[in-house]
Amino acid sequence: MDLFLQQLVNGVVLGATYGLIALGYTMVYGIVQLINFAHGEIFMLGGFGALTTYLTLPAGTPTAVALPMMLMGGMFVSVTVAVLMERFAYRPLRGAPRLAPLITALGVSIALQEIVRNFYPNAKTARVFPQLVDPQQRFTIVGDVSISAPNLLTVVVAVVGMVALSSFVRRSRTGRAMQATAQDPDTARLMGINTDRIIVTAFVLGASLAALAGLAHGLRFGQVDFRMGFLIGIKAFTAAVLGGIGNISGAVLGGFTLGLVEVMATQYAPEPFAGGAWKDAWAFVVLIIVLVFRPTGLLGERVSARA
Amino acid sequence: MIYLEIARSRVRSKLGPFALPIGLLGALLLAIGCFLPWSTYAGFPGKMLNSTPGGARLYVLLLSLFAVLFLVDWPGRSKALRGTSLFALIITVLTMLFVGYAGGGLVNCGIGVFVALVGALLYVVGAQALPEDSAPAPIRNLPDRGWRTLVETLLVVGAAVSALLVFVIGLGIPTASVAEGPDRRLGGAISLNDLTNESQFLCFLLFVCAAMLGLSRIGLVASLGALTKKHSRVMVAAALMSAVVFPFTQGGDGYSLRIAASIGVFAAAAIGLNIVVGLAGLLDLGYIAFFGVGAYFAALVSGSVTSVLDVDLPFALTIVLAAAISGIFGILLGAPTLRLRGDYLAIVTLGFGEIFRITVNNLDGSAGPSLTNGPNGISNIPDLALPGGFSFGDNHTLFGVDLPFQANYYWLEVILVAVVMTAFLRLAESRIGRAWVAIREDELAAAATGINTTRLKLLAFALGATLAGAAGSINAHVVKVAAPDSFTFLESALLLAAVILGGMGTVQGALLGATVLYLLPEKLRFLQDLRLLVFGIVLVLIMRLRPEGLVPSKRRQREFREPGGGADALAAPPGRAEVST
Repeated sequence: MDLFLQQLVNGVVLGATYGLIALGYTMVYGIVQLINFAHGEIFMLGGFGALTTYLTLPAGTPTAVALPMMLMGGMFVSVTVAVLMERFAYRPLRGAPRLAPLITALGVSIALQEIVRNFYPNAKTARVFPQLVDPQQRFTIVGDVSISAPNLLTVVVAVVGMVALSSFVRRSRTGRAMQATAQDPDTARLMGINTDRIIVTAFVLGASLAALAGLAHGLRFGQVDFRMGFLIGIKAFTAAVLGGIGNISGAVLGGFTLGLVEVMATQYAPEPFAGGAWKDAWAFVVLIIVLVFRPTGLLGERVSARA
Repeated sequence: MIYLEIARSRVRSKLGPFALPIGLLGALLLAIGCFLPWSTYAGFPGKMLNSTPGGARLYVLLLSLFAVLFLVDWPGRSKALRGTSLFALIITVLTMLFVGYAGGGLVNCGIGVFVALVGALLYVVGAQALPEDSAPAPIRNLPDRGWRTLVETLLVVGAAVSALLVFVIGLGIPTASVAEGPDRRLGGAISLNDLTNESQFLCFLLFVCAAMLGLSRIGLVASLGALTKKHSRVMVAAALMSAVVFPFTQGGDGYSLRIAASIGVFAAAAIGLNIVVGLAGLLDLGYIAFFGVGAYFAALVSGSVTSVLDVDLPFALTIVLAAAISGIFGILLGAPTLRLRGDYLAIVTLGFGEIFRITVNNLDGSAGPSLTNGPNGISNIPDLALPGGFSFGDNHTLFGVDLPFQANYYWLEVILVAVVMTAFLRLAESRIGRAWVAIREDELAAAATGINTTRLKLLAFALGATLAGAAGSINAHVVKVAAPDSFTFLESALLLAAVILGGMGTVQGALLGATVLYLLPEKLRFLQDLRLLVFGIVLVLIMRLRPEGLVPSKRRQREFREPGGGADALAAPPGRAEVST
């Protein structure tokens, strides 16, 4: 039973990361119906931005100061890149058939990875990320079940980020404009909403959350890698689809579901298909099963009706 | 783009009347420069030292010939001149930089390059100052005389032969990869000599682009295209002949044949993918997995010592079975998922691709059943043998020409590509093909006209998988190994890029795209680590500048170019989508 609970905790931690990144996918897809493949790279850049900020801080900066600074640094990099990407790669293709922006996204994704690999100092292999939050420090939940400090931090910031986003979208004027644009861009524009700006907002919000996830990822694993965005990005998109694309609570639910499934399958799948080597395969199997039986995702999709 | 327009209109208003003299003077200087030495030292390849133009100088000289268009008011001439003059300038500047870099300073460039540079600049200015074309170049026909058919046939054959020639010359320019042989991917610093060699290839490539651009803008390419359509049988025969005689032009060099064979595999897979993506409009991001299914199956039953199955099926049976098994995988994956909307299909196929890679990576006996040798893959796949005792691994002599054994595989690939192309062309014009296009354009409307969309989509998907399986089974024997590393997402992305770069829905496009995408990394090793970066940026740029691809189908071109073609709530206002260069 302890083992199960422990895996439950691990699954929640993993799911928190997926959920954070999935939100970026789901917001952008909900409004412009673009699978922004490069979003995984925005997450990766967030990690590298945080690392850069750390390296420029004077030695001995207390963690309580360093962490928020790193988060801001990561967000700055992620948001800047995301906005530039939207402006120069995606916006010119607004009227083009669906495949065009998808290919562009693929190109942007490859280019961003390669830029980091070639031009970030010593980034051809994984770069060490400062372990500001001691991973040896564990908090007992119940019995032998515990959670390490960076994991706990991940879950906490993820939940805070999700709640903040949710209330922003629901309550603020811009957030309501986002919902309107996602429902019906034509009418939204007629109501005086600057849809271009709303789209940029979606990219900015998604990038900020991805940067948050990037920082958390660095703290948990003690390293950042130019490749790390790709697989996590795909899985986060999977999570978004799983929850129902365009649906913000769906992305969160999908993220946690995917994280749990992955962890549980690793532990409990019939031999010989258990174990870490198969975990990614399980994630995709679940995706296919969900799409077959519930193509609109767990909570249903919310995408503007123009297909 | 808009800034370019403004700059051009300024040049035009100031220099308009002098466009002709400036342009002609520039072209003349450019041509004169080509007959003067471009370097002051021996050692730079491509005949830079003496007074006979060669290499880059020859290309620039040929481009300067387009200046004749200053004198005749040919429709489309202004666009053609703008393109070619710009490319001439680029080639000149690049060569100057390369010669200067290799010689230790620009002072080591010969006098000719500076003359040519001034000429190229004037040429560009003259071309920019020309008034805009009044009408696009029309398709021209030969006058209807008795010799018309003969001349047309000769033109078509000439087109096929010159395509072969371009390919042979391009492949023949020595680069670092040729010298190093098959281990070229293992890295190692590249020498100055490689760099200068590769600059030759780059200049050649730019020249081909420039010439094609110029010829297409004055309407010659379209006219020739109409001719090849009219005499399609001649075209097919000529193209096939060119492809078949290619090994005889290589003087027994096995390496270039191996590259050509790999291009064949890549192209066959790209054409197969083009059925799925280009015709039926289903985005398949895990296509390489079907290719991998075929490759692994062929490897398992090839009698290789590293295969766990101790069977050695005849090759003809292997191909059929591999294709069938891939097709079954396609149906198994497609049947439940093809009801989904397009983007979901993309992600499901991507997932399938990843599952395939992970699975073959894991079936090594420790994490799962022993089947595929895990990351090492199945290696030492034996050479193919025909029942008559003919082994594909033997060199032989034909018509007095020594042919390395790679020629056998090359011809096998030619057959494969021919089969896949035929399948594609026949399908595209059939009832099924038209139904696919209808589904791609509007699935709801297609269903309303009585098309069984699910079944037809499944057919496209399964057919694509089948062709990929066949190509994969052959490729396993060509590269002699089937390993998970060859079936990553990046490979799927590359195939997709080949289809899109070439032009969706056309077979020539997929062929061209596959050739370019395979050849570029082979030939441009001086980019080394930056290759993928350049690839990513090129993808983005193509989508912005020429989203319909290099050889677009007519329908697709309209879709991308006509204002309001993709009527959409968030579409850019009409006219903004129009790209000007």
